[in-house]
Amino acid sequence: MPQEIAFESLSLTTLDGMSDVERDALPFGIVGFPADTTVQVYNATEARLSGLDRASVMGVPFFEAVAQCMNNFMVAQRFEEEPEIDDIVPYVLTLRMRPTKVRLRLLASPEAARRYVLIER
Amino acid sequence: MTERSSEEQLLEFLYACPVGLLECDMAGEIGMMNPHAMQHLLPLAGPRDAGNLFSALEQHAPELRSIAAAFAPATGRVCDGHRIFVELGCARRTTPRKVLACTMVKLAPDRLMVTLTDISQQVVQEQRLRQADTWFATLLNGINDYAALTVRPDGEVITGDSGFTRQTGYDLAAVIGQKLGDVLKTDTTGGDLRLDEQLVVAERDGWHLQEGWQQRANGERYWCQRLVVARSRDDETGPIGFSVILRDVPRREAAAEDLRRVLTRDHLTGAANRRHFSHAMEREQTRWRDLRHSLSLIMLDLDHFKAINDTYGHPVGDIMLRRVAEACAPLLPPRGVFARLGGEEFAALLPRYDGEQAIGLAEDLRAAIAAIEVETAGTILTLTASFGCATLDEADGSIDALIALADKRLYAAKRGGRNQVFQPQAAAA
Repeated sequence: MPQEIAFESLSLTTLDGMSDVERDALPFGIVGFPADTTVQVYNATEARLSGLDRASVMGVPFFEAVAQCMNNFMVAQRFEEEPEIDDIVPYVLTLRMRPTKVRLRLLASPEAARRYVLIER
Repeated sequence: MTERSSEEQLLEFLYACPVGLLECDMAGEIGMMNPHAMQHLLPLAGPRDAGNLFSALEQHAPELRSIAAAFAPATGRVCDGHRIFVELGCARRTTPRKVLACTMVKLAPDRLMVTLTDISQQVVQEQRLRQADTWFATLLNGINDYAALTVRPDGEVITGDSGFTRQTGYDLAAVIGQKLGDVLKTDTTGGDLRLDEQLVVAERDGWHLQEGWQQRANGERYWCQRLVVARSRDDETGPIGFSVILRDVPRREAAAEDLRRVLTRDHLTGAANRRHFSHAMEREQTRWRDLRHSLSLIMLDLDHFKAINDTYGHPVGDIMLRRVAEACAPLLPPRGVFARLGGEEFAALLPRYDGEQAIGLAEDLRAAIAAIEVETAGTILTLTASFGCATLDEADGSIDALIALADKRLYAAKRGGRNQVFQPQAAAA
């Protein structure tokens, strides 16, 4: 397995270049969205863990309809305010309504149209 | 396209719900919660455990833990729309201060269902309405004179204008450096706030206005509107001081007083009517919440009153009701409200009275009613009443619970033989 798919080091460019099949094979959740936050990438791992069907999540505003728990200054607001982010934050999500400790990696760059949230349980 | 399972639909529904929902045990350990609840809880939790409701809110609403713990019944509504003021100061004026409303329902001895809703916008609206009310009242009142002062965050006078001396009779130079609250004595036997208490509210809400009697240096009383406004600078989080405006407002003219009387009084007895009583309760509930003043309620019901109406007719009954109001109203403290709530049911709302003081006053009211004598058709009629008292603390801040508790005790007094005030400790013993 190539080195760059580790949760901590996977780059935004690599993520953008991957196919859906490649992203589905990753052991952590991946959500990708442009500035308007509508979901463009939702990998199989994330769909399985959240219990949501990928088809019903695609095109939906991520922070408003899917991940309200991240719709605060700790996550959503950072994407609005910081053009460049590569940060790992400890977080608590409500997967299937259970509080679950996770690590989030937030990725954004002024050169890339799409931002990513990586979720490691 | 695959058919979505009902579980998926249910999850989607919960993920998208714009109200925070969670379930926890009585210790606050969260079993389930939706994302909206976590959206609010996690930023408040800071380094504390976001998986426990009470730990997460320890900094902003430590009272929730005790409110839940003090709720004795096995099931029921523990609190309804309890407000959590996330930001205390008035630092950022561009966005409304965040206020959450929390409702807790006890479903089983160790199971709480909780909702969290962001009501920041609603609170802003309420504040605007209050402001509009104040302006409107000023138009109606007219103003004789005003005085302006600035004070430090601790209430010490920095500056003032000549209006202060003109209005209060105190020498401004002698007052500078003193605590304004020590100079302006407030009659707190009623519900009026002391100046230092107004500063607390103004620091949180940005401003506070109250009307009440104020004393001039020569002891003369005048009706005064006292407005306290927090002064802040963008680079400071707390207020850097306060502006205080004192307005000498003429008391309402006779016509306005008549109108007010029609709107707020029970036409038969002259006691406050239900509507006025309900407004007064809301106002005092706010003070209870803001400043933790005690607030008590006495409910009383005349004993066997139907028999008087049936035997001697309603005109005699009406005379007796009027005599009850005449006997009771003068015994109340200045900010107390004596009201007729229904046929032969009355109530007294008592700001700053604790449970013991309320029971003491109820005993006085009982004796005053028992001493009433009405002569009719050659007989002397007397009457008695039964009393129940409760405090807003006992009712966890809910007006409905307060009324229900006082009512319950009133009926316990009836069952105990009438002509008595229900004594909680006697029942517990």
